[in-house]
Amino acid sequence: MSPNRKFALSYSYYPGCSLHASAKEYDVSTKGVFNALRIGLKEVPDWFCCGATPAHNVDELLSLALCAKNLSLAGKVEGDLAVACAACFSRLKTTQHRLKENDIKRKQVETAIDGPVPLGKKVKHLLEILAKDFGLDKLEGAVQKPLTGLKIACYYGCLLTRPPEVPELDDCEAPTIMENVIKAVGGEPVAWSHRLECCGANFTLSRPGVILKLSNEILASAKDAGADCIMVACPLCHGNLDIRQEEIEQATGRRYGMPVFYITQLVGLACGVSPLRLGLESMIVSPAALLREKNLL
Amino acid sequence: MSRIGVFICHCGENISRTVDVERVAQVTARLPGVAIALDYKYMCSDPGQNLLKKAVAEHKLDGVVVAACSPRMHEKTFRNAARAAGLNPFLCEMANIREHCSWVHEDREEATAKAIDIVKFTVSRVKKDRALAPITVPITKRALVIGGGIAGIQAALDIADAGHQVVLVEREPSIGGHMAQLSETFPTLDCSQCIMTPKMVDVANHPNIKLYTWSEIEEVSGYIGNFQVTVRRKARSVDEDKCTGCGVCMAKCPQKKIDNAFDRNLGTRPAIYVPFPQAVPNTPVIDRDNCTRFKTGKCGVCEKVCGPGAIDYGQQDQLIVEPVGAIVVASGFDLYNIGPKPADSPYEGYGEFGYGAIPDVIDGLTFERLASASGPTGGKILRPSDGKEPKQVVFIQCVGSRAREKGISYCSKICCMYTAKHTMLYKHKIHDGQAYVFFMDARTPGKNYDEFWRRAVEEEEAVYIRGMVSRLYQKGDKVVVMGSDVLVGVQVEIEADLVVLATAVQARTGADLLAQKLGISYDRYNFYSEAHAKLKPVECATAGIYLAGACQGPKDIPDTVSQASAAAAKVMTLFAKDQLEREPIVARVNERNCAGCLACKKVCPYGAVEEKEIRDRNGNLIKTVAYVNPGVCGGCGTCQATCPSKSVELDGYTDEQIMAMIEAL
Ligand SMILES: Cc1cc2nc3c(=O)[nH]c(=O)nc-3n(C[C@H](O)[C@H](O)[C@H](O)COP(=O)(O)OP(=O)(O)OC[C@H]3O[C@@H](n4cnc5c(N)ncnc54)[C@H](O)[C@@H]3O)c2cc1C
Repeated sequence: MSPNRKFALSYSYYPGCSLHASAKEYDVSTKGVFNALRIGLKEVPDWFCCGATPAHNVDELLSLALCAKNLSLAGKVEGDLAVACAACFSRLKTTQHRLKENDIKRKQVETAIDGPVPLGKKVKHLLEILAKDFGLDKLEGAVQKPLTGLKIACYYGCLLTRPPEVPELDDCEAPTIMENVIKAVGGEPVAWSHRLECCGANFTLSRPGVILKLSNEILASAKDAGADCIMVACPLCHGNLDIRQEEIEQATGRRYGMPVFYITQLVGLACGVSPLRLGLESMIVSPAALLREKNLL
Repeated sequence: MSRIGVFICHCGENISRTVDVERVAQVTARLPGVAIALDYKYMCSDPGQNLLKKAVAEHKLDGVVVAACSPRMHEKTFRNAARAAGLNPFLCEMANIREHCSWVHEDREEATAKAIDIVKFTVSRVKKDRALAPITVPITKRALVIGGGIAGIQAALDIADAGHQVVLVEREPSIGGHMAQLSETFPTLDCSQCIMTPKMVDVANHPNIKLYTWSEIEEVSGYIGNFQVTVRRKARSVDEDKCTGCGVCMAKCPQKKIDNAFDRNLGTRPAIYVPFPQAVPNTPVIDRDNCTRFKTGKCGVCEKVCGPGAIDYGQQDQLIVEPVGAIVVASGFDLYNIGPKPADSPYEGYGEFGYGAIPDVIDGLTFERLASASGPTGGKILRPSDGKEPKQVVFIQCVGSRAREKGISYCSKICCMYTAKHTMLYKHKIHDGQAYVFFMDARTPGKNYDEFWRRAVEEEEAVYIRGMVSRLYQKGDKVVVMGSDVLVGVQVEIEADLVVLATAVQARTGADLLAQKLGISYDRYNFYSEAHAKLKPVECATAGIYLAGACQGPKDIPDTVSQASAAAAKVMTLFAKDQLEREPIVARVNERNCAGCLACKKVCPYGAVEEKEIRDRNGNLIKTVAYVNPGVCGGCGTCQATCPSKSVELDGYTDEQIMAMIEAL
């Protein structure tokens, strides 16, 4: 049976490479949440890497063609395209934006991928689907275990809302969409300064020193603002803030012990998805103590 | 048979580069009715005009076509030359082969053919031109000045000193505008109040100036020399004739907690107030939205304490009609707000600067109030959040200006200078403090301006960092400024106690509405448009209306005052004559044919069409026809196109002439 008939809302789904590797828990929890909210999700067959951060630094045409081909594959599956990773989201949206405004580029890319690019296919980040398509009211209604008392630093990173003309997600420099989702599921977003700073992203292997500095500032300002944990919507940010947290602590001598959740993990917890289906066990900084303290586990 | 002279101008190379002017002359010389066709390098020059005059006499010409630039440029020039040669000036027409031909085409062959066509049909038109006599209209020698900032004050004083009556309309309770809010002014650092208030008092005392404060323009009709302006005098709730300005009402008003807009909301004021102690007139106004009496009916303290009995709660708005002959618009500017974009604004705001929510991030005008001896802190620079003296202050230039992505691409012109001034004022008051300035460019053209800026850098030790700021955020009691130094190529982070933004100068909110009432044009930013960027910088395209000050574009005080005096001089030039000569290109009604349907009256954008009764000798009404008031007619021709019986025609553009032009092609 096609998912379209089963659910009122239904999407094609582009997980992106990270979600099949280092960010498996994001993939698992996304599916868990969508299942709980009865939103259909059908993975695009044969999808491949979007080129992420490296491709467009090397060759623009290549980076556009990679995304264009994925978009064209996605075009064969019904429903708007749901994307979880902020980098994939950014690349896919950028490709559509670039090709819409530049006919010459579009023709080059169409030659490269041997077919048309579905520029009208709507690419949506999960946040947008939860907050806008599904809706905050319904989300609030779906909560079984509100995240009461959990102080969350919502971290957008640099890609989710920028550059202003591309993502069309929220106010580019002062967004509220993550906070709105968190409030809907009963959590307490904290006001903090580094919501939109860069974590260092793809310097993680080439210049780890940069990561240590930038990510440390993010952890520090979240901690100083009184947050219990950080919430992200991007596997690259997650990698830097979670996986490297201990290294940062060693380098700076400050202890954070700050669990870093994906948005779907927190929404899933609140909406009664079994913790076993949220991939909490793969988090490097364990959330167990925190969640127990707040009666969420 | 007509005897027409055709004169083809090379315009240096402007025309001859793309149009074969000699061929145009050869071809048009052979047209029927053309007595002579010549080409010349500069027709508008003295020898060029002499050529025309000589030809008129020698060839007994009865019509002239000058094929050159737009009539907007030189029609007057050539008509004067024709008149000097004894020809009726309205028998001289221009064929525009520059703007309409050489400037917009590249192919020489095609452009030449087109130029020939343009000359051809203009010749056909001139053949059917009538000799016309200029129309004269009387001039009301009184001027209206809108806005009582330094621009309006200067213009009003100049015109009044020349002996003419001036009506000065100011929207706020006092005149003074932005300049009254400034502390000390570049490039000399003289105190703004000290140079401003005497002029304000002069306005109040001038026998030729009628001052309406707390008033707005309701409606404007008429035309140059003869405007009718309806002024709305908003209810002040205080009788201006009785009030002595003693101030007891303000002292006793129990409602004292209203944000003081003049002090940029740094202090408070009572519900009955004058905006600042040196206000002119010194008559308070009741802020009805915040007055307990008006809100609940339960107060009345001011009425009780007022000795002369000047308080009048029942006062109503009053509409007054003022006849004037000229209007100077001096309504000034507003400042860009970094807050989130309001629905009706094209400007984005600065989310990266917290959208105005960080208390110690202020704008330049607020800094002026902090630095002003008559300001809310008595001239002590103390930051708004906790009243502490800021030891590190970061100034950021070009906030909103030169920022296409935020909606404004122009330079606000005054900020480089006033920011340099701010760093000095700061250093003069807080000796151990440090000022930093983030800037894109330091633009300091102007007499003694660059020297002033250098002084800020070299003597007053302001640290100028070339680069922009990407984010401001609160950290404890500091504001963290994240920026870049593009000269060194590094990221900079400063923990500031106070941040001052040089926000863009933008047009007044509602400037477009005032322009629509006046019938003047404005640019995409709502700044009012001058008639010519270089040669008519103070005139509007609408005759009889002049511009002064920042309503036309960002300006400092010296430029504002110069422009205000220039506008006043234009008004005085107009008033120097008793009668105004107008071009007779107006519509005329053929009363015999007119059926009196008055369709023309409905479409006339100038309100020039009136009804006229035609009576026989015994006074019996025969019929009603349309009449076009030649003083009001704008010569647009809309009536001509509308008239079902073809009974109204525009001189110089009659149907017959237009058909002849089409046939000539
Ligand atoms: C922070 C700052 C510092 C500055 N420092 C200096 C300096 O040191 N030296 C210098 O040379 N310049 C300085 N300037 C520039 C100076 O303020 C302007 O050049 C000057 O105020 C322009 O005068 P204006 O009369 O054109 O406009 P405004 O001062 O804006 O006056 C316009 C007046 O018109 C009134 N008005 C508006 N609309 C209407 C309406 N519809 N009907 C009736 N009345 C209306 C307003 O209430 C106001 O009174 C500074 C500006 C700023 C923002």
